[in-house]
Amino acid sequence: MMDVLEAVFSVTFLAMVIRQMTPLLLATLGGLISDLSGALNVALEGMMLISALTAVLVSVHYPWYVAVLAAMTAGSALGLLMAFFHLRMRADIILVGFAVNIVATGGTVFALSLATGGDKGTSINLVSKAVPAVNLPFLKGVPGIGDLLFRLLSGHSLLTWFAFVAVFGLWFFLYRMRGGLWLRAVGEYPAAPAAAGIKVDVVRMWALVASGAFTGLAGAQLAMFNYVGFTRDMTAGRGFIALGAVLLGARHPIGALLAALLFGVFDALSFVIATRAQNFPAELIQAIPFVVTIIALILFSWRAQRAKALRGA
Amino acid sequence: MTTMTGKPDRLGTFAREAGRAIGALLIALVVALLIIIATSADPMNAFSQLLTAPLTSKRTIGYWMDDVAKLTLTGLAFSLVFQARQFSMGVQGQVYVGGLFAALVALSPAGATPLAIPLCLIAGMVGGAAYGFLPGYAKAKFGANEIVSSLMLNYIAIKVVNWITRAHLAPPNSGQLMSPPFPPEAVFPALVANTRLDLGIVVALVMTVVVWFILYRTRWGLKLRLVGDNPTFAEYAGIRANAVMIAAMTAAGAVGGLLGAVFVQGRAYGKIAENFDGNLAFEGILIAIVAKNRPLAVPLVALAYGYLRQGAQLMGNRTDVPNEMISVVQALVILLVASSFTVPGRKALGRIFKRRGAVQ
Repeated sequence: MMDVLEAVFSVTFLAMVIRQMTPLLLATLGGLISDLSGALNVALEGMMLISALTAVLVSVHYPWYVAVLAAMTAGSALGLLMAFFHLRMRADIILVGFAVNIVATGGTVFALSLATGGDKGTSINLVSKAVPAVNLPFLKGVPGIGDLLFRLLSGHSLLTWFAFVAVFGLWFFLYRMRGGLWLRAVGEYPAAPAAAGIKVDVVRMWALVASGAFTGLAGAQLAMFNYVGFTRDMTAGRGFIALGAVLLGARHPIGALLAALLFGVFDALSFVIATRAQNFPAELIQAIPFVVTIIALILFSWRAQRAKALRGA
Repeated sequence: MTTMTGKPDRLGTFAREAGRAIGALLIALVVALLIIIATSADPMNAFSQLLTAPLTSKRTIGYWMDDVAKLTLTGLAFSLVFQARQFSMGVQGQVYVGGLFAALVALSPAGATPLAIPLCLIAGMVGGAAYGFLPGYAKAKFGANEIVSSLMLNYIAIKVVNWITRAHLAPPNSGQLMSPPFPPEAVFPALVANTRLDLGIVVALVMTVVVWFILYRTRWGLKLRLVGDNPTFAEYAGIRANAVMIAAMTAAGAVGGLLGAVFVQGRAYGKIAENFDGNLAFEGILIAIVAKNRPLAVPLVALAYGYLRQGAQLMGNRTDVPNEMISVVQALVILLVASSFTVPGRKALGRIFKRRGAVQ
């Protein structure tokens, strides 16, 4: 027990939190964009899984940045597919999302088995690449806290830095640019932007495509940094947790960052428990992030509901 | 108008919906064939396995019927929540909790008595109902989104049930991931000897009639369908939509829990094992959508889809095409049936000629 506590209050733990939260943050941003446009994207899980496999397979033959772009493209293509069936063919977005999830669980195993010549479990026989880490040796030169800063901030994936920048980029887009206003208006009250001559469906389509692109990056980070390689069902519910994080973050980019941070902490905690307290059942450790999500979701919804009641709405 | 021409109208609707479903299935099968041609060394063999393998022997027909029973139950559970316009995805979690409850009864002294089977089934339903109640209550009371909460509950149930199975029900220090076999009194009797065709199919068909009766012949069922159709109107009519919603999710949970009991007590297992549902629970979404949430249509869809599912399984075993290929067919059928897709032909032509204007 002391072991676990000792590990939690260390810089290494914070660095691990950042690493674990990155794919979740990217997926949460993706979920946020489509949710704000009025389309709850339940396919985050499937999009992440497919783009993770895409990233791994492409990185076998091409440089890492091509693989990351391919993962983004795969995610966007799935977003476009969802947009087609939801907006053009008028299918319910939740059913469309689950169709993507179904094709992802089976399809990735199928594609993996084709690519590896029959292995349905992992891509261990394929030599895939990783996203480069950003090393910041100059941080050590900062007087006093240099060593701490170095251990906290150096060695993270390039995509981690991108994700943090994207939080503020997305905030700027949503609240300071015209496109962001359109996006929020379409989600809030579609009749108004429609009357103003904005093509509601086009905005929603781009929202789903952007959602797919972010989620694709999440998949790339997962399979090209957090783990290098693909294993079946490697997302393990992260997409659904991200969906919860969107709601938990009050549908705001900064909120999304905080929600992802919360899950990063518990994700890292489950790692620490797994390595330090080995007699603790592994299954229960794995359940922690899901328990935290559901408790946080209930508390948050309850607060939001009370706030609404107080306003008399 | 409905009263005067009720019968023909219904038949027409049925024919149209069945036509759409079959059209979607055919398109999906063509895509499956293309994938098989692209990936298999012997595509014709693989495709014919997919289409004919379930009928090759008494044993494979048993596999198929076993799937039909389970798919019917998960389809019913999803139909119930979908009819109330809830998107609770919690059937999988309910299956695990129900299976665990049934297993605990089966492994207790009660499991060796003649009453074992009904007791286990009831225990499964109680467990599943309680687990279905949670996301409904969380939504009604706190406004917690039921999709997210039910998905989280699924993962929690799987992890916890797996842990209990491995650490507490499996024989100590055996390293096994399953409980010892249930006493014979707690395992379903086979309807045809040496096949998996067991009591499960009877349970599924009885449940179909029960769910149909509740939805279409009771006051509560009418309320549930009203809430699903138009919650605001239902509130004006004096129906407490939240109470009906919670009840619908609890009832669906009971069906999900029953499926868990059918899983562990069926001849396929006769014990509880880790990850016993093999992701079948989620396939109820497809069944419910294709059946348009109509309980009486659920077994028919399960019959057709179970055949395809078993065909894919056998194709995976006997040829070089992995059975996961079938997920493409599943997803396509869901997409096509859920969308405003119409049987290709007249309407498709009309659509091409009208181009945009018609949409929206």
